[in-house]
Amino acid sequence: MTHEEAARALPAYVDGELDAAASREVEACLAADSGLRAACERLREMSAAVRAHADYFRAPASLKPAPAPRRRWTFLAPAFAMVALFAFALGVLVSRPGEGEGLGREAVDAHVRASIAGRLIDVASSSQHTVKPWLSARLPFSPAVPDLSHAGFELAGGRLDYLGGEPAAVLVYKRRDHVIDVYVGRGAPLGASSGARDGFNVERFSAAGMRYWVVSDLNRNELTDFVRLLRQTTSGS
Amino acid sequence: MNERSRFEQTVLPHLDAAYNLARWLTRNDHDAQDVLQDAMLRAFRHFGTLRGDARPWLLAVVRNACFTWLQANRPADVEPLADVPDDSLPGPEAAVARSVDRRLMNEAIAALPVQFREVLVLRELEDLPYRDIARIAGIPIGTVMSRLARARRQLADSLRVVATPRIRVHK
Repeated sequence: MTHEEAARALPAYVDGELDAAASREVEACLAADSGLRAACERLREMSAAVRAHADYFRAPASLKPAPAPRRRWTFLAPAFAMVALFAFALGVLVSRPGEGEGLGREAVDAHVRASIAGRLIDVASSSQHTVKPWLSARLPFSPAVPDLSHAGFELAGGRLDYLGGEPAAVLVYKRRDHVIDVYVGRGAPLGASSGARDGFNVERFSAAGMRYWVVSDLNRNELTDFVRLLRQTTSGS
Repeated sequence: MNERSRFEQTVLPHLDAAYNLARWLTRNDHDAQDVLQDAMLRAFRHFGTLRGDARPWLLAVVRNACFTWLQANRPADVEPLADVPDDSLPGPEAAVARSVDRRLMNEAIAALPVQFREVLVLRELEDLPYRDIARIAGIPIGTVMSRLARARRQLADSLRVVATPRIRVHK
C-alpha cells in the first residue's frame, strides 16, 4: 500500500471498516510515516470530540406508547396480520438457500470490501480491448467484456477477486455515480435470479459456460436493463 | 405473539435513535416530534417489509419522512448537493481545539448541510457502519465516505475558527 492509498483508506481504518489484511497494511504505513500518524490522530480526535460533546436527543415520553394494554395502534391489527401473512409467504418463497445464494452473498461482501478499501479497479480503462487482455492474462479463462456504452453503461475497468474460492473476473461499469460490479466465474450453470441483499441489487445468470453475478446499488429498473444487454452480448459469444 | 407486540418489541427499542435523527435533521423539538409521529405510523404500515436489523430499517423510514418534510417546509435545506468527486486526501486538516464545548459542537453540526449532517450523525452518534448509512441515506458507499470526509473537515474548520481568539473572529 502506498502512502497515498493509506491516506485515502485512513478514515475507513479509523471507522473500523477495513478488513484485517487492509488494516495491517495501513498500520504498516502508519508505523513508517509520522505525517500519516498525525492525520490519523486528528481523525480520532474529531470523532471522539463529536461523540463526547454533541447532544444525543432521546425521544420525549409523549412519543413512547403507554405501557397499559390500550395502545394507539390497536386499530391497525387486522391489516397487520395480512401484511405479516404476506411477508411470511414471500419469505418462504425467497429464502431457499443454495450454492448460488451463498455466492451471491459473497459477491455483495466482496463488492462492499472493494468499495470501502477504494480498490474497485485494478485496471482502469473504458476500452474492452485493454480490460479483456489484462484479465485473460491473469485468469485461467477469458471473460467476455462487452461494450455497453451506447446504452449509457460506461466500462470503468476490471479487477480480480475470488468467489467460492475460485478466481473470478470483475468487470466494473458505471452509470452516473453508481458502480456496477459484474463477477464472472466458471462453473456449472445456475438458474437466473434477481434479488436484493444489504441494500444492493443482485442478479445472476449463466451464459456460454460462465456464471455471472451482477451487484450494484443502481435502481432495479436500470439494473434489469443492464443485465438484459449483458446477457444478449455474452450469450452470443 | 401478535404483530403489534412484535412491532413494539423489534422497532420501539430504536425510538430514541429515530428521534435523535429526526431532531438533528429538522433541528428543533417540535418539528422532530411531528415528523416522528408520522414516520412511526409509516413504519407500522410497512412493518412487513422489514428484513434483518430493525434499527437501520427504521432510520431509513425516519430519514425519508424528514426529507419529505424538509422538502415541503424548508426546501432550501435540501437543495441537492454537488457531489463533486473529492480528490483531496480525506480527513480534517485542522486539529480540534481542546476548548470545544457542547454548545460550539452542537452549533457546528447544526450548521452543516443536511446531507453531511445525516452521515455524520449516523456514523458518530449511532455508530453505524458505512453499509447501513448508505442504505439509510440512499447513496452509494463511496458517497457516504466522501460526504463523511467533507463533514468532518468542515466541522474541524468551523471548530478551529470559533476556538481561535475571539477578537480575530468577531469584529
